[in-house]
Amino acid sequence: MKIIDCPLNGPRNAQEFICAGEVKQEPSQDAAIDEWADFVFLENNLKGVVHEWWCHVASSYWFVVTRDTATERIIATYRPDEFFASQRQTEGADSE
Amino acid sequence: MSKFTTSRLPEPWGSVINRDHTISFRFEGKGYQGYEGDTLASALAANGVMLLSRSFKYHRPRGAFTFAGLDANSYVQVGDEPNVLADMLPISAGLSAMGQNYLGSLYRDHAVHAGRLSRFLPVGFYYRAFFRPKGIWPLWERFFRRAAGLGKINCNADEAYFDKQYLFADVAVIGGGPAGLSAALAAARAGANVLLIEEAATLGGSLNYARFQRHRRDVDSLRDSLIGQVEQNDNIRVLVGATCNGWFPDNWLALSRPNRLYKLRAKHVIACTGSVEQAMVFRNNDLPGVLPASGTQRLMRLYGICPGSRAVVATANAEGYDVVLDLLEAGISVQAVIDVNQSAASPELVEQVSTMGVAVHQACTVGEAIPRTGLRSITGVVINKLAESGEATGESWQLDCDLLVTSVGYAPLGQLVCHAGGELIYDDALNSFIVTNVPPDSGLAGSVNHRYALDAVLADGRTAGLDAARALGLNPEADSQIMPDSGAGGINHPYPIYPHRKGKDFVDFDEDQTVADLQNAVADGFEHPELAKRYSTVGMGPSQGRLSSLNALRIVQRVSGDHLAGASVTTQRPPFKPVSFGVLAGRSFEPERLTPMHRWHADNGAVFMPAGMWKRPAYYAGNKDRAATVAEQVAEEVAVIRGNVGVIDVSTLGGIEIRGPDAAEFLNRMYTFAYKKQPVGRARYLLMTDDTGGIVDDGVACRLDDEHFYITTTTTGSDTVYRNMLRRNAEWGLEIDALNVTSTYAGMNIAGPMSRQVMEKIESDMDFSKDAFPYLAVRQGTINGIPVIAMRVGFVGELGYELHVPWTQALAMWKKLIAVGAQFGIRPVGVEAQRVLRLEKGHIIIGQDTDSLTMPRDAALDWAVTSSKPYFIGKPAIGLSETRPQSRLLVGFRLLNSDGPVPEESHLVVRDDAIVGRVTSVAWSEALDEVIGLAYVAPEQAESGANFQIKVSQGLMVAAQTVQTPFYDPENLRQAL
Amino acid sequence: MPLALLKYGIQRKYKGNRYFPAAKPLRSAYDVVIIGGGGHGLACAYYLARDWGISDVAVLEKGWLASGNTARNTAIIRSNYLTPEGALFYEESMRLWRSLAGELGINLMYSERGHLTLAHTDAAIRTSRWRAEVNQHLGIDSELVGRDELAKLCPELNLSEDIRYPVLGALYHPPGAIARHDAVAWGYARGAMQSGVEIHQQTEVTGIQSLDDGSIELETDRGSISAGQVVQAVAGMSSELARMVGIKLPIRSVPLQACVSEALKPFLDPIVVSGSLHIYVSQSARGELVMGGATDPYPLYSTRSTLDFTEGLMANMLELFPFLENAKVLRQWAGIADMTPDFSPVMGITPVSNYYIDAGWGTWGFKATPVCGSCMAELAATGKAPELIKPFELERFSRMEQVGERGAASVGH
Repeated sequence: MKIIDCPLNGPRNAQEFICAGEVKQEPSQDAAIDEWADFVFLENNLKGVVHEWWCHVASSYWFVVTRDTATERIIATYRPDEFFASQRQTEGADSE
Repeated sequence: MSKFTTSRLPEPWGSVINRDHTISFRFEGKGYQGYEGDTLASALAANGVMLLSRSFKYHRPRGAFTFAGLDANSYVQVGDEPNVLADMLPISAGLSAMGQNYLGSLYRDHAVHAGRLSRFLPVGFYYRAFFRPKGIWPLWERFFRRAAGLGKINCNADEAYFDKQYLFADVAVIGGGPAGLSAALAAARAGANVLLIEEAATLGGSLNYARFQRHRRDVDSLRDSLIGQVEQNDNIRVLVGATCNGWFPDNWLALSRPNRLYKLRAKHVIACTGSVEQAMVFRNNDLPGVLPASGTQRLMRLYGICPGSRAVVATANAEGYDVVLDLLEAGISVQAVIDVNQSAASPELVEQVSTMGVAVHQACTVGEAIPRTGLRSITGVVINKLAESGEATGESWQLDCDLLVTSVGYAPLGQLVCHAGGELIYDDALNSFIVTNVPPDSGLAGSVNHRYALDAVLADGRTAGLDAARALGLNPEADSQIMPDSGAGGINHPYPIYPHRKGKDFVDFDEDQTVADLQNAVADGFEHPELAKRYSTVGMGPSQGRLSSLNALRIVQRVSGDHLAGASVTTQRPPFKPVSFGVLAGRSFEPERLTPMHRWHADNGAVFMPAGMWKRPAYYAGNKDRAATVAEQVAEEVAVIRGNVGVIDVSTLGGIEIRGPDAAEFLNRMYTFAYKKQPVGRARYLLMTDDTGGIVDDGVACRLDDEHFYITTTTTGSDTVYRNMLRRNAEWGLEIDALNVTSTYAGMNIAGPMSRQVMEKIESDMDFSKDAFPYLAVRQGTINGIPVIAMRVGFVGELGYELHVPWTQALAMWKKLIAVGAQFGIRPVGVEAQRVLRLEKGHIIIGQDTDSLTMPRDAALDWAVTSSKPYFIGKPAIGLSETRPQSRLLVGFRLLNSDGPVPEESHLVVRDDAIVGRVTSVAWSEALDEVIGLAYVAPEQAESGANFQIKVSQGLMVAAQTVQTPFYDPENLRQAL
Repeated sequence: MPLALLKYGIQRKYKGNRYFPAAKPLRSAYDVVIIGGGGHGLACAYYLARDWGISDVAVLEKGWLASGNTARNTAIIRSNYLTPEGALFYEESMRLWRSLAGELGINLMYSERGHLTLAHTDAAIRTSRWRAEVNQHLGIDSELVGRDELAKLCPELNLSEDIRYPVLGALYHPPGAIARHDAVAWGYARGAMQSGVEIHQQTEVTGIQSLDDGSIELETDRGSISAGQVVQAVAGMSSELARMVGIKLPIRSVPLQACVSEALKPFLDPIVVSGSLHIYVSQSARGELVMGGATDPYPLYSTRSTLDFTEGLMANMLELFPFLENAKVLRQWAGIADMTPDFSPVMGITPVSNYYIDAGWGTWGFKATPVCGSCMAELAATGKAPELIKPFELERFSRMEQVGERGAASVGH
């Protein structure tokens, strides 16, 4: 069984967690319907490194896991605020 | 009985048996005696019984082969337990075992003639026949199934006790042979906490029986010294008699004993799992009396058993000569050594045994073992001269013997490493598999790592132990040194396969697959080793290819002309050895959630039903002697709420508190309705949809303060709704706190026209009058000294109060209501009655009256959707659906003919032979004196008064009529009293 | 003794009876290329040749024949689906299954054992009745049975009322069957090859391009291939392959594990499924119990095994069959399932012209092998999706529409 290093609870057995799929950017409410259909139904489903929502069930704590779906290796875990801040930074860097 | 002669050798032969303690046991109904420390197989061998089982396909007589639990020849039935390894099962007083897979008796198996049909049963034969004419296979299958399977399952077996234990270690060393002992000591001395796991009952592994050529005289003292050091080391825990059956991600190991599963988390794993000696392939190589060198040595050294009186040893390596010396040491006559090498690997060994009077025939092989009638033992062997190509020539002669020992090499037991990502790849220099892709945080040592010479094995273990210590951040004083093993290259023969034109040259004992079967599989076009395996079933039996995959791969690649070097075998899968369902299951663990009033309900005759993990009273059967039907009980409970007052335990409803400046905004986003202008002290309906616009949950929001809501969810929805809320807000970042208080508050709904009278009789700081506490009001206060959130909601459609009280005080409150309500005829009411009551009001139950595709307007809940809000989950999907014609609508209905058949839930609404909907709820309503229900119908049938057809049992059609809901009290006057 | 075996027995020397013609060299152009040499791809190839006379076809398989989910299948066949579109599709598959062995000339060991979906709650009873009603309306043999009848159909089952979730009844589907998965693939492969179809094993597609002339250019590890039409049938790798040609799918790839017991003397006739306990079990002709459960809890492209799986599965097995505690698990394994949001497959045209998709089978693709092969062949031959598969087109998700199978599919076997 994998060990997941929860930012709140430390390393715990994977059985204590659930995965809620890849972190996605929700479209705006008035976005075109195909954009919404994409968001609701379609998946990147990458064989490789993905960022996903995971929850430690006993403490109901949500965080982001960076994981390789080809090897099952867990690369990093982040608090949500930490993750989104780093994403904003990356996006900022990209736009410069 | 077998004429195979065995007897006990004198001490010190027999290191694991205690000759002072005799144990009686039975096999095949006959009584025997053995010694403490014996396995069933060894104790039987001591009594001259080698035959233990009949093979799967041809019912060939078989005896234990490895005497280490690595083959399936030793499968016996012990009571209700099939497929028990007789060479791993310690004998115990009263043990009674039987052979398996025979018709008649183990010794006279009427099914043995299956073997004579073998020429008509070529590889994959069942694919070629038995399917014409169409539909014939089931008849043949019945015949085949009679022959299928090995052991018997008793469908009335008693249940035994199984449990589980968690273990933790810095370093797990799997295997207590020389490499494992050495590795454990090295790691432990560097400061690591070590768990040493050994499958056998004692440590030592091959040190207990192998002689390692020039170490012949030192092996025993070396073993005692290593074991002594391990036992004295406080950093080492030893677990014997436990099989490591699986190696899972992040070093999660499954160790099993007969009644316990250990789950071990190790920081580092060292696999010292050893290797398994491979069979030499020739005609009748499967008979009792043919043994591998290591099996022979185990019998002699561990159990003190003389395996025969006249032996022939066929060998390709020095280990074979070790066995010759062992046999001679035990006083057994060795007729000849058959050395399959063109020139002996070690002239010194040839000379050594020659001087002891044993003839050595070089460049020869065994072409056939000659069976005694009944195939239960052998009387001799046919020796063939080998050509330079290594193939047997026609030049042959016979030798008499009752024991044939073969020594042609090993295959690494790398299966566990493969569970964790390793691979077994054929290596041309070693003529064997090597283990590659060793997973992170682990190492290999010993013969699994192709080290065979004792010095090399010990050094390899030490290196692995030191490497583990370093990986843990410890600083061992010593350095690791890798010692090459010069002997390893010569231990495995490249092709110890000598096919016989008359067959019975077995490659796979489990599946009775011969050389020709594999050759034919390739000839049939199944060239890829994996396809050949699947077609022939080689390696698919209980020993999972441990004894067959090496030779099978050699044959397949030779026939297909593909390279052997670099070829691999099928991915090895857990478990390493078959593991019982009971061990994996452990103790039954089926958690259930009970409300604080559960005991009271049980004491008062409640019949419970599951609701998710909860148990809820379905109805109360009462303790009275009268024989009322369930329907009558439920009808009484309905009537008490309609007529007097009843109380329902609603503690299982989810409860969530939302606090913070953004609380109303948060609910606005999570739910379809609008909450920003909801007044404090009021309750409002909650409807939740998902991103597809489908209904997922409902409940009630109570605004306790501007920034504080107390909300309810469905019983089964509470955990997911709560988790979903936190997930969404991890993105939104609204200023709220959400807390799941499902088990903080218990709930009870006191309902009925007299409920206010009951409430007013209990001491409280709340005013229950109509004006002070109107319909949909929410109040906080104390009742009978207990803090309460009280709300007036109308699920059952009568005047009523839902009281949410602290879990620990709920029972007291419940009892108070029952006591005070007695004069008004109060009764507890269960879920069944509640379902009827709500149906009379036309209220839906999420999950029963909705399905995963039900959108709010389909369930006539569009009134609970505030489209003007800028955002709620599901809004875009709901918006899109509204641009399309509606396909169905949930409506209330009554039956046109009250005497006809009554539909059941899920009966279909059919129009012009097309399914347009279904009944979701249906019940007899006493209040309305007719059957009422909810059903999905086509939009054209949704008008009040429209008629539609329901298809009930036997295809009968029942006419129904759409009715406006609520059925009961359509003006909703009673709940607002 | 059947004649076929007698002939083998009396021949002096075994000459081999090649199932498959020897492989031909890979060419650079084909009318149709099918990516994926599993049951579906091979069936499609077979029907293309048989029904449409199209035999300039190559099947590309990156491993060995049927080495993906076909080989990992627990081979349950049934048609008692909840939605009319699902039930009709699988019912046509069952019709094809029944005559398939004779047609392909190989014993598929198709055995109608009867299929029981146990209901442990009144909600499950409602769903079972719903399925039974839809099935019966469409002429499919399916009914809701109570405890008494269940005791006759499967006397070994634990019907005690004292267990945590007592069995209340079951959906009974008498034609529910099992078959030998490998034989299905081999039979189709041979049939296709005999008509001239080429099967290229160990040939992996590494890139896909749609050209202006409507043809498709495939990069493989053995060179590039030009195809008039392409059919993608690579369960478990669907998203990765579709990504090469710019198609995004409504699929998550999740391991589905299964295990098998040692061979036991036969005692269990029907196929037993429990949605609440997440298990399904049947006993093979060899005597092994073939068992599986729910998919793994998170997406993954690795077929590693887990201990949690067998621990959970066996705990639930013993709830239903307590006497099995001494039976032993011989081997466990995993496949990668394409999970879709509506528990229904994705079949048909795609935004890329001449590129057709066969994906999203979740845990139940094996039973559709004949009908899906036949329908995909028709699609590739005519460019038009047959009525049977129209409800399953990829386009439905762009309209935010779903097939309503989810209600029935807690364990989809």
